[in-house]
Amino acid sequence: MDLLTSLKISSSGLTANKKRMAAITSNIANAQTTRTAEGGPYQPKEVVFGSEPAKESFSEILSGEMGENAQTVIAKEVSNSKKPPVLKYEPNHPDANAEGYVAYPNINTMEEMANMIEASRAYEANINAMNTAKSMALKDLEIGKN
Amino acid sequence: MAIENVGNMNKLLSSYNTQDWMKSASIDQATLPQFNELAANPSIGAKPPQSFSEMLASSLTEVNSMQVEANKAIEKLASGQTKNIHETMLAVENAEIAFKTMNQVRMKVIEAYKEIMRMQM
Amino acid sequence: MNIDDKTTRALAASLKYRQMRQELIASNIANAETPGYKAKKLDFEDALARALDTDEQQTLKTTDSKHFNVGGGGFNNLQPEIYEESNGIVSPDGNTVDRDQEMADMAENKIMYDASIQLLNKKLGLMKYTVGSDR
Repeated sequence: MDLLTSLKISSSGLTANKKRMAAITSNIANAQTTRTAEGGPYQPKEVVFGSEPAKESFSEILSGEMGENAQTVIAKEVSNSKKPPVLKYEPNHPDANAEGYVAYPNINTMEEMANMIEASRAYEANINAMNTAKSMALKDLEIGKN
Repeated sequence: MAIENVGNMNKLLSSYNTQDWMKSASIDQATLPQFNELAANPSIGAKPPQSFSEMLASSLTEVNSMQVEANKAIEKLASGQTKNIHETMLAVENAEIAFKTMNQVRMKVIEAYKEIMRMQM
Repeated sequence: MNIDDKTTRALAASLKYRQMRQELIASNIANAETPGYKAKKLDFEDALARALDTDEQQTLKTTDSKHFNVGGGGFNNLQPEIYEESNGIVSPDGNTVDRDQEMADMAENKIMYDASIQLLNKKLGLMKYTVGSDR
């Protein structure tokens, strides 16, 4: 049973990192977007991780020996209000406001690239953990085989 | 003829001229084998002869002690007191081979006994 | 050679605890970026060594089910220790997971798990051989 819980935890890590990758690629692609459907420049997407106990019901927590120690990870997409748009002076730009400033999204492409590499490594690590758990479970089937 | 040669070798080694030669070549005479002694006692270090049952009993205890050693090695590995997987595997393999060998010997002994019982008197 | 000797039971117990350790490591790796998450480790080797009493060092008597198992071979109520790594790297958001260390631990755990399964198979194989050899 514990190995199957391990698979669930690793898959939650995969999902969370996929969400992070989606947010990062969206940010990189829209680094110069000054016009969106909601009006105003593109708002950078950011993903925040939180952890949750892995077992689903209280009785499972009681019966298992791990208790609340094993945690799945949940990724939530939040809008970061601490990153206001950057204003650049371009009076001839079609989206310039009255003073001639254009609001660009506050996206540092280099930072997003670094985050992307990190997310990719985290994804690989979770795949590794999942493969290990799966291989351990398969090895169990070989007990007693000559 | 071999014994004559051995006696001649000894005479040669202890004769005066060769002793001079050995000293100049700095060969220590004490470490040279004394051929006569070897010819007289071919089994230096051999154990006194055992009866067959004694040999069987001692082999059994040896096989058992190998099993105990293998068990100890496994327990040490499982509880993390050693990280040497290869030593444990070797100990277990040795114990298994010894056990299977002993089993074969047992089967042969039983077969020999049956053969003897079949002999017509 | 018992069918259910101490060594076999010790191996089976170690399998169970290595599975639990794998679950904990998976949790650490999945939460390597979660703010405020503390990396946890599971230690069962000490408890198992005490229960095995390999060198026959200990002479404690166990009369109650809550006593530590010493040498008796009762591996079912071993208490593994789950603790937080106290001197690890703490990143600014409070996360203490070192992902590479976790990967290394996971690899070691897997190797020891495979070794344990193989040893278990060897012991069971020997017992089967004894039962099945031609008389």
